[in-house]
Amino acid sequence: MTGSIKIAQLAVAGLLALVAGCGGGGGASAPPPPVPPPPISKIEAYRFLNQATFGATDAEAQRLIALGDSTNSYSRWLDEQFAKAPATQLPTVLAAVPNPIPAGFNIGSLQAQRVEAWFQNSLNGDDQLRQRVAFALSEIMVVSQVGALANFPLSLADYYDMLARDAFGDYRKLLEDVTLHVSMGIYLSMLGNQKPNPALNIRPDENYARETMQLFSIGLVELNVDGTPRLVNNQTVSTYDQSIIEGFANVYTGWRYAGGTSFANAGRATLTNQVQPMQAYAEQHSTGTKKVLSYSGAAPTTIPANQTPAQDLANALDNIFNHPNVGPFISRQLIQKLVTSNPSAAYVARVAAVFNSDSQGRRGNLQSVIRAILLDSEARAAPSAQTAGKIKEPLLRLTQLWRAYGARAASGKYTAAATGGPSATFAQGPLQSGSVFNFFSPFFAPTGEIANQNLVAPEMQLATEYNNTQFINFFWVQAIARTTAQTGLGADVVVIDTTQEQAVANDTEALVNRVSDKLLGGQISVELKASVKAQVDRTATTVPNTRVADAIYLISTAPEFVLQR
Amino acid sequence: MNYNRRKFLRRVSAGGLAYALSRTPGTVWGQMAGAGGFGEYRALVCVFMFGGNDSWNLVVPRTTAEYNAYNSARGGDQGVGAGLAVPLASLLPIDPVGTTGAPFGFHPSMTGVQQLFQTGKAAVVTNIGPLLAPTTKAAYAAGSANLPPQLFSHNDQQDQWHSLRGRTVSKTGWAGRVADLVTSQVPNQQLAVNLSLAGNTYFQAADTVSPYVMGANGPVAFSGFGTTGTNLARRQTVEAINNQTYGTIYERAFAGVTKRAVLFADRVNAALTAAPNLVALPNTGVTLSTLEQQLRTVAKLIAQRATLSMTRQIFFVSTGGFDSHDDQNNDQPVLLANISSALSRFYAATEELGVQNSVVTFTQSDFGRTLTSNGDGSDHAWGGQQLVVGGPTALLGQRIYGTYPTLAINGPDDVGGGRLIPTTSSDQYAATLAKWFGVTDSQMPQVAPSINNFTIKNLGFLA
Repeated sequence: MTGSIKIAQLAVAGLLALVAGCGGGGGASAPPPPVPPPPISKIEAYRFLNQATFGATDAEAQRLIALGDSTNSYSRWLDEQFAKAPATQLPTVLAAVPNPIPAGFNIGSLQAQRVEAWFQNSLNGDDQLRQRVAFALSEIMVVSQVGALANFPLSLADYYDMLARDAFGDYRKLLEDVTLHVSMGIYLSMLGNQKPNPALNIRPDENYARETMQLFSIGLVELNVDGTPRLVNNQTVSTYDQSIIEGFANVYTGWRYAGGTSFANAGRATLTNQVQPMQAYAEQHSTGTKKVLSYSGAAPTTIPANQTPAQDLANALDNIFNHPNVGPFISRQLIQKLVTSNPSAAYVARVAAVFNSDSQGRRGNLQSVIRAILLDSEARAAPSAQTAGKIKEPLLRLTQLWRAYGARAASGKYTAAATGGPSATFAQGPLQSGSVFNFFSPFFAPTGEIANQNLVAPEMQLATEYNNTQFINFFWVQAIARTTAQTGLGADVVVIDTTQEQAVANDTEALVNRVSDKLLGGQISVELKASVKAQVDRTATTVPNTRVADAIYLISTAPEFVLQR
Repeated sequence: MNYNRRKFLRRVSAGGLAYALSRTPGTVWGQMAGAGGFGEYRALVCVFMFGGNDSWNLVVPRTTAEYNAYNSARGGDQGVGAGLAVPLASLLPIDPVGTTGAPFGFHPSMTGVQQLFQTGKAAVVTNIGPLLAPTTKAAYAAGSANLPPQLFSHNDQQDQWHSLRGRTVSKTGWAGRVADLVTSQVPNQQLAVNLSLAGNTYFQAADTVSPYVMGANGPVAFSGFGTTGTNLARRQTVEAINNQTYGTIYERAFAGVTKRAVLFADRVNAALTAAPNLVALPNTGVTLSTLEQQLRTVAKLIAQRATLSMTRQIFFVSTGGFDSHDDQNNDQPVLLANISSALSRFYAATEELGVQNSVVTFTQSDFGRTLTSNGDGSDHAWGGQQLVVGGPTALLGQRIYGTYPTLAINGPDDVGGGRLIPTTSSDQYAATLAKWFGVTDSQMPQVAPSINNFTIKNLGFLA
C-alpha cells in the first residue's frame, strides 16, 4: 500500500499549497474544487503490467487505465487478480494420457503437454498475476524435468498448479506443500529418505535439509530486515552449520509415496499417488532428538525424541518459517523476479516488514507481500536510477512479444514446433532448470560496472553471446516468416497478428510508432526510432512484409525492450 | 579499470577492422607481439563435473587393508544393502609410478582413462579441494581453522573452485585473472583467451578480458544478416542499436554481449567450417554426448589456432548430474563412462592435430562426497580426486599426486560422516596449471591468492 499512500500524500500536499496560495487574498470566495488525481499514463501502465503479467498489451493497458486514477487503478487491478481462480496444467496433461495406456508408452513424452499448458496459461490465462508469481516461485523452489523427474510430467504439472494455488496464500503452507510434494521428494531425494543405520554407515540424506534452508527460506547468512547481511566484527554470520543440516535430515526421514502399507512397499502408482502429498511411514522415521535452527525467539532449538513424522515436520517447518531471515530473503527474491534486480535496502525492508506482519498481523501472507512489492514507491514512481528495473528473462521476452501480438497457431496450441523447444531456443523452459540453483542465481553479477559496484543482474547469467544470438534469431524468424501476412503455414506454427502494421506498412513513421506502442508502451528512444526508421526505409513499400518485419524485429531485440523498466 | 577496459575495447575493434579487411594472420600483428609474446601455442581445457563427483569411487586402493577400509566406510559392496563401494574385482588395475601402497584401480567405467593413465598421458590428483591454508582435523574440530566459506554447499564450493577467492569478495575467476595477466602478450589474438562452450561461468570472469560463450557446436549465425544491401544494413543497424548510449546498467551489459555476438559469430563459424573432420570426434557416424560435442568444437578451434592467431586459450566445458544423493550405483557408471569416453576421445583428437603436448585437460567438480551412504547415495563433502590429461612432454603422467587419504570413518582426515579434509588445495592445482600456461611466480598470488600459505607451490605434474 505504500505506493498509493505516497501518491495520496502528494495530492494532499498539493492541495494544501493551493489553499495556502489563495489564503492571502482575504476574499470570501469558496476554495476551488480539488484537482482530481490524473489517470495513469500508458507508459506507467506498461511498466506495471510488465512487472505483474507475462507481458503488457495495448488492451490490458487501456483496461488498467480505465479502472480509475493514479491513486486506485493499480490496487483495483490487484484486487481483481487476487480474486481470479487459478488456471491449471494437470487436467491438460491428464487429458493426453491414452486410455488404456499401451504397453511401452513413454509417459515422459507428456512433458510436451505440460509445457504447452504452461504457454497456454501464461499467454492467455486471465489470472496473469497468479501465474507470474507462480513462475517466480518455480524459480525459487526449483524442481525440474531435467534429471530424475523426466518421466513425471503429471507430478510436475501438479507441482506448478500447487505453486499457483499457494501463490496468494500463506508461505508456511507453501513451504509444507513444497516439502511434501512428490516432485520435490524425488528431485531433492526426501522421498525414500531412511532413518540412520550406524552399523552400516548409513545416515539420513541431507539433500532436502540443506537446499530448503539455503534456497527456499533463509539463505546462508543472517540478514537484517532490509536484506543486507548482518555483520559481526565485519564478518557475516552463518545461519546454520552441518549439525543443523543433520538435524533436519533426520526430520525428513520416513516419507514415501502415499497409499502404501509400509515404507518398503510404498511405490509409485502410474497416475494417482505422484500427485498426492508424500505419506509418512513411521518404521523408517528417525526417532532421536533433532537439532534445528537457533535464533532469537526460537524455542526449543531441539525437536524432542519419539514424535511422529508429522509432528517433527510441523515443528521443523515452524522453526524455519519463524526465522527472521525468511521475510527479507523471500521478499528480496520476489522483488528481483517481479520488479528490479537491485532494490534499495529500504524497499526490501518495507516489503519484509509486510511479510513479517501484514495489516492483519499475519506472518508470511504472500498476497500482502505481492501487493506491497507492486505498490511500493520504488516500483511505481518513474524510474530514474541506472539500477532501476531488470533484464527480462528470455521466456518473458517471448511471452511479451506473443501477448502484444496476439500470437496463436491455427491449431490453438503452443507446441514445441512454435519455439523449437523453449530450452533449446531460449536456454530456459518451465520447470526445466539444469539444477536446483535455477537458470540464474539471484547473486549473479556480470563483470564490469555491475560487479564493480557490488550490484547484480541475475538474468544476465543467461545473456551469453550464444543465447542472445538464439533469441535475436528467433524473433527474426517470427517477424519475417510467422505472421498473419503469411499463408500456408503448418497448423502448429504460432503466428503474430501484424494486421495493424501491414495496414500502415508504407508509412514508416506510423509503422514504427505502432510497433513502439505495442512493445514499449510508446517509450522509444530517439536513437532507436531513427535506426529502425532508416532500416525500414531501405525496403520498398512494394515489400510491406519486410518493412513490418524489420520494425518488429529491431524493436523487440533492442536493449530497451529487453530491459524491464 | 577504465584504462584497461578501453584497452580491451580498442583491441576488439582493431580485430574487427582487421577481420573486415580479410587480414592475413601472422603479418604485422604477429610481429607486434614482440619479445614479451609467447612463442608456442598452449591451451588449458577445464572439464567441470557439476553436482559434486563421488570421486572416492574414481580411483580406489586395491591393497587389502586400504580396500577393506574403503569398502567398510562405504557400507559394503554396491548391490548389497545400501553399499556404495565398487567391488574389488571390478576395479580396472593401474600401476602408478612411485606411490607407496600401490596398486590402485579405476572405476570400471573408466576404461579410456585407465589406458591413458597406463601410457603416461593421464594423472590423478588426490584428496584435493578448496583450502585457505593447510588444515588439520584438530584445528577444524576446535573451530580455529581458516576455512573457505560455506563448505559442503554446491554453489559456494563451485565458486571456490572457480575463483579461489576464499573469504574475499573477488568477482573474478582464476582463468579470468590468468587471461588478464597474459593478454598483453597475445595482442593479435582474434578471440578472447577464455572461451566457454557451456554458458557463463565465474571461472572465466575477468576484470578486463571478457570471455566469449558459444554453444556446444559453436556459435550460430545471425539469421537476418547478409553481406550486401538491406541484409548488410540490418546487421549494421543491430550494431548501431547496441552501440547506443544507454541509461541503465542492464541495457549496457546486455548490449555489450550482443555486440560481441555480432562481432565474432561469422569469424568463429568460418573457422569451424574450415576445420578438419576429426577421426576421434567425428562430425557424423557416432553419437557424441554433449560433453563430447563441446570437446569436438574445442578441438576444431585448436585446429584453427593459426587462422585465428591464437597462442593462449582456456576452454570451459561441462557436464552435470553428479549430485548423486539418490540412485548413485545406477547413475555413476553412466556419468563416469561419459567422462572417460570424452577425455580419451579428446586426447586422441589432440594427437591427430599434433598438439597433444600443447593442450592440457583437467577436471574440477563442486566437492568430493561423503564416504558414508544415505541409503542409496552420498552427500556433499569436501576433498576429492581430479584428473589431468596431456601429452608426454607436457604431463608427467601415470602418477597420483598428493597424499592418498585413509578412507575410513573417523579416520585422520574425516570431519564426520566420511567428509575428508583435503591435503592438496585447489590453489596449488591452479598454480601448477597457470605456471605451465605462462603465468610467472611473482604473478601467481593474483591467480591463486592462498598459494603462499602452502610450501609446495607447484604440484609438479606439468613440465
